[in-house]
Amino acid sequence: MVSGVKAGSVSPDTAMPDEQTRTQILGALRATESIQDYLSLCRKWRKIDRTAGDDGRAELRVVLLSGATTDFLELPLRAELDSFGLRARIHRPDFNTHVSELLDPASATAEFSPQIAVLLLGASDITEWPAVGDTEADVATLADRFADLWLNNICATFNRETGAEIILGNLHLPPTSSTGHLSRRLPWDRTNFVRRINQLLAERAPKFVHTLDVELLSAQYGVQQWFDPRFWYHAKQPVSFDCMIPLVRDMAGIIAAIYGKTSKCIVLDLDNTLWGGIVGDDGVNGIKIGQGSAEGEAFLAFQNYLLELKARGILLAVASKNEDANARAPFDTLDDMALKFADFVSFKANWGPKPDSIAAIAKELNIGLDAIIFVDDNPAERALVRQSLPEVRVLEMGDDPSEYPYLLSRSGWLETIEITSEDRKKSEQYAANRSRTELAESAVDYDSYLRSLNQKAVIRPFEPEHFDRITQLINKTNQFNLTTQRMTQSEVEALAASDSTLTAYMRLKDSFGDNGLISVAAGSVVGDTLTLDLWLMSCRVFKRGAEFAMANYLLQEAVRRGIANVRGLYRPTAKNGLVENLYADLNFEKDGPAEQSGTNWSRTLAGFEPFPVSIEIVEDFA
Amino acid sequence: MTESEVWQRLTSVFQDVFEDDEITLSPETTAEAIEDWDSLTNIQLLIAIEKAFPGLQFSTGEVANLQNVGDLVSAIIKRVAT
Repeated sequence: MVSGVKAGSVSPDTAMPDEQTRTQILGALRATESIQDYLSLCRKWRKIDRTAGDDGRAELRVVLLSGATTDFLELPLRAELDSFGLRARIHRPDFNTHVSELLDPASATAEFSPQIAVLLLGASDITEWPAVGDTEADVATLADRFADLWLNNICATFNRETGAEIILGNLHLPPTSSTGHLSRRLPWDRTNFVRRINQLLAERAPKFVHTLDVELLSAQYGVQQWFDPRFWYHAKQPVSFDCMIPLVRDMAGIIAAIYGKTSKCIVLDLDNTLWGGIVGDDGVNGIKIGQGSAEGEAFLAFQNYLLELKARGILLAVASKNEDANARAPFDTLDDMALKFADFVSFKANWGPKPDSIAAIAKELNIGLDAIIFVDDNPAERALVRQSLPEVRVLEMGDDPSEYPYLLSRSGWLETIEITSEDRKKSEQYAANRSRTELAESAVDYDSYLRSLNQKAVIRPFEPEHFDRITQLINKTNQFNLTTQRMTQSEVEALAASDSTLTAYMRLKDSFGDNGLISVAAGSVVGDTLTLDLWLMSCRVFKRGAEFAMANYLLQEAVRRGIANVRGLYRPTAKNGLVENLYADLNFEKDGPAEQSGTNWSRTLAGFEPFPVSIEIVEDFA
Repeated sequence: MTESEVWQRLTSVFQDVFEDDEITLSPETTAEAIEDWDSLTNIQLLIAIEKAFPGLQFSTGEVANLQNVGDLVSAIIKRVAT
């Protein structure tokens, strides 16, 4: 339907139909649960990817390491990563060389200089099992030794040498047991031992190690589904073909989370998605939700799952074709609804096309379309959104509500590498934003609105208690981001520890609540010049003057350190056009063209006067 | 299931896995005869065949030792022939 080969044979637009096909293939790939279809789609994807060649996206270098065979994971992993917008090159050392590849600083793996290492452990990596009758203390010692070897020795060495973030796949439980149901009570039992080392590997993981919880995944699918002994004996395949999809999908999800590519917001349809029936036709008392009917309970379970997601920081919104009053009625009047109107950060019930509502939600929340998951039981609406807004992640689903939580849970789109206190407050922060918008609309002019907000900020150099949030913001922020320089937490720590850098984070409060840690900047000092090469701010606080407050801090701190000149870098991306002229607004002059694409700016600090801002700077929040 | 039905279904599995509608099979067809038939696709093929013939499961020995299409067909017929 979209092949368009004829039209594109000579024009430079040939990439377009291919790009559409690529999006379609990746969409189908994400939707299928049949391994045969999945692999065939992977091969189709490869064909297109080869034809497209280098598309200018930076290649992410990933190494796949295991004592088992990982050949068959390579292609699916590349395709899954592409569905997150990441172009990956994968290095796969020989089977069962993982330990030496990781420990030897001159190994081919180290020379490949991966940014990500995926390390899949298996039972064959356990060289010493507890002996029958070993005491709790004996077993604890063995487990300690195992965790220490992999985390503090092997992973830490590799991270020190290469800086790679490590995704550590733990072990599935053994598919057989010699002690049966007594095993739980025996410290030396092998199943118990595997549980114990998995727990230790997660609890003691340093910041650069991210758990790929194979124990959890294999339990969700069933260990005997997960592991096919025939193919282990024949080809040392660690996972059955059927279960390769969840394994590789979650692997990609975790990598995507490291690079801030997972989803932030779920946009939901209402009728037959959050409840059974059509509220406009059946009336508020005619829809199926809550105890009393099987379907009603299934929809309620889905609502409860969405609430769990909301509680850990995922935003919920509604895009429904409905009269607004009808759409709100169940939330206002039915006690059986787990979701309440206030749980949504945006609520669009109208008769316009859904892509318009979704685009409006993205704009309102200041998030990218690629940060949105769209959930709708109606295949026509899904097709329309896929076609009009290809960046939006559309969940493929049937019409059985009991499956909905599983489909979302299995999507890999919601992976996160940490949950900060900011995440848990996120919905409240957006709700406060809505109140701010209302105030702005009622204020006579923008300055008086800003003054009425009573903004207070803390601006300080990077501090350990905020390293996790600083790292998260660096890797998630796309719009107000001058250089889109991503960093791992270890790099952030190194920056904070260095004498030749200037670092700053900013927290912002106002009369509607705490906005949290919303801006990060850093620069390096050489001689009497400060070069600002990292500066970003959360989209939640655009147009509040916070960037001027940050500029004041940076420039005043530079003056205090006797620095005479400040340089600023701007590197354009598809998303950061917003800050193209930030340095001009801060009285920087544009230097000649930069070495890379982008612009360089500079200004002197002689006679620097702080910019006026409506933010009171305080030492700390009481 | 008759032997000719086995041949028919097996051919369509091969055509699916190798994405080639031209593939025809004879008892002597070996991995060398079909482009892309490597160790990886071999495993895929075995899985696809198991799915195409409900109830069929190759033994560990068969997984490792099935050398050509003739072997495959006799292994299948042993299990599913009526």
